[in-house]
Amino acid sequence: MMNTSEILEQLNCIFRKVLKNDSLVLTETTTAADVDGWDSLTNMQLITEIEKRFVLRFTFREIVKLKNVGDLCSVILSKLKQA
Amino acid sequence: MNRQNDLITDILLASVKYADRPSMVIEETTYTYAGLFEKVWSICACIRSVKPNVIGIMAENTVETYASVLAVLFAGKTYVILHPSYPDSRNLQIIRQAGIEVLLHDGSVPVGFARSEGVVCISVSGEAIPVSAEPYYMTHAETDAYIIFTSGSTGEPKGVPISRSNLNAFYRAYSQLGWKLDETDRMLQMFELTFDVSVVSFLYPLTLGACVYTVSSGGLKYLNVLDIMERHSLTFAAVAPSVLRLSRPYFNEISLPALKYLVVTAEASDVNIISEFRRCIPNASVVNLYGPTEATIYCTAYSIPYHDCKHHNGMVAIGRPFHGMEIVITDKEGKPLPSGQTGELWVGGAQVMAGYWKNSQKSAECLVATADGKVYYRTGDLCYQDADGDIFYCGRKDTQVKVQGFRIELAEIEYRVKQYYDNKTNAVVIPLYEEDGHCNLHLVLERPSGDTAALEQFLQNELPPYMLPRRIHFMNSFPLNASSKTDRKKIMQLI
Repeated sequence: MMNTSEILEQLNCIFRKVLKNDSLVLTETTTAADVDGWDSLTNMQLITEIEKRFVLRFTFREIVKLKNVGDLCSVILSKLKQA
Repeated sequence: MNRQNDLITDILLASVKYADRPSMVIEETTYTYAGLFEKVWSICACIRSVKPNVIGIMAENTVETYASVLAVLFAGKTYVILHPSYPDSRNLQIIRQAGIEVLLHDGSVPVGFARSEGVVCISVSGEAIPVSAEPYYMTHAETDAYIIFTSGSTGEPKGVPISRSNLNAFYRAYSQLGWKLDETDRMLQMFELTFDVSVVSFLYPLTLGACVYTVSSGGLKYLNVLDIMERHSLTFAAVAPSVLRLSRPYFNEISLPALKYLVVTAEASDVNIISEFRRCIPNASVVNLYGPTEATIYCTAYSIPYHDCKHHNGMVAIGRPFHGMEIVITDKEGKPLPSGQTGELWVGGAQVMAGYWKNSQKSAECLVATADGKVYYRTGDLCYQDADGDIFYCGRKDTQVKVQGFRIELAEIEYRVKQYYDNKTNAVVIPLYEEDGHCNLHLVLERPSGDTAALEQFLQNELPPYMLPRRIHFMNSFPLNASSKTDRKKIMQLI
């Protein structure tokens, strides 16, 4: 079972690839407003990549409630535990 | 003055009649009409004595920003929106062009760039100074209500001044569309204040005594829009079709039974997405509204039926002209075409601006007076009309595109790129459309491949975020067409 820091590492790779930014470093407090290019459109691509990588599916309500990367890690962790 | 003749008067009447009702919900804080107007009168008292007529407002999703817009209108002056997401250089271009000497801001974003230009920056944050409500200062109908700056092909944004007379003509026509709305309605305002659909999304509900729900501009806006619509059971929403497109995978989880009206606007609407979204809005009428900024927000309407929606290549029809507006579809020589034939859409009537801000050359290109003395605005949109009189949008006759509702002249981006290379490198911007209609901008440079970090930084410093290309490509030489011009179609195939 992955822990939060391992999930964060995987997310970092996905974000770097989708946003084409090799120097991006995510932390649990990072929000969309902190990252250049993380907007409505790229968020869809990020969600799709994350769902593929972790083999899970987010609901609309889960996505809406995400306030930062830490929230994203928590949802992924909880879904992996349920799987 | 009769109701539905003067928009500002009607807002004033509603503010008194519905003083204790909610006027706005911003970032989950509710402001009553009395609370909102306390701020409005306080700002109004502050600016009424200043000499300049054109007042800048730094747009933020705060009650101070919205109160500033109302205060400028009530003071009989003209507002121009600057945006914190714009590079300073672009905000300065607008300040210089519009001749802004006074800027209202809420104190949350830096305005040093404006101060260094000699602009007096007034912070309107904090407690309102108690001022007794003053009667609305009636101003000349031809005084501009606002000036919106849009993308311009020469690298300078174009100013579109909309007079109070234009705005009231729009207000009368819009009110006649048959909305069944009143003070109990909850209505969405999702648009940036730099974009004119925000004017109706914000001001029209206030004429009814209804409540406006705004959306933060930062972060993941489309999610915020649907979240607010659902949590607050909104009854009216005007949205850009991108909101629907981006939330498509979640339609089976979204339920908006309280919604009475869904307006789709700002860009061409996909007939299939509207059809699929119907399941989320079982009680709503859906209307497509179209209009260039130059003809005051919207000037045609199409009520989208459940079945047999009229469309052209999947793009929903834009319908018929507003009351008081006339349209003509013309050939390249400006001669009217019969129904069924595609040509440029011209719109005329009381909603059409008098001319671009301090740009008589551009005004002469775009405004045409016909032999009978009517003035039409040449939209640049290619359209045709069917036998019923409904208009269909088919595309642009130039290189203007819309990205998430924002109007962009590709030539403006190309101008900036060439400027970066001291005009020694040719550049074209190619709009590539995805299957769902989303437009991605690709910049193609006529030069060997190389590092583009410095160019990207330069563009970020010069252009608003929505104008930045998604990808950059290189070509050793651009293909030419039969007229020896750069062949954009061929380049599109090659990238």
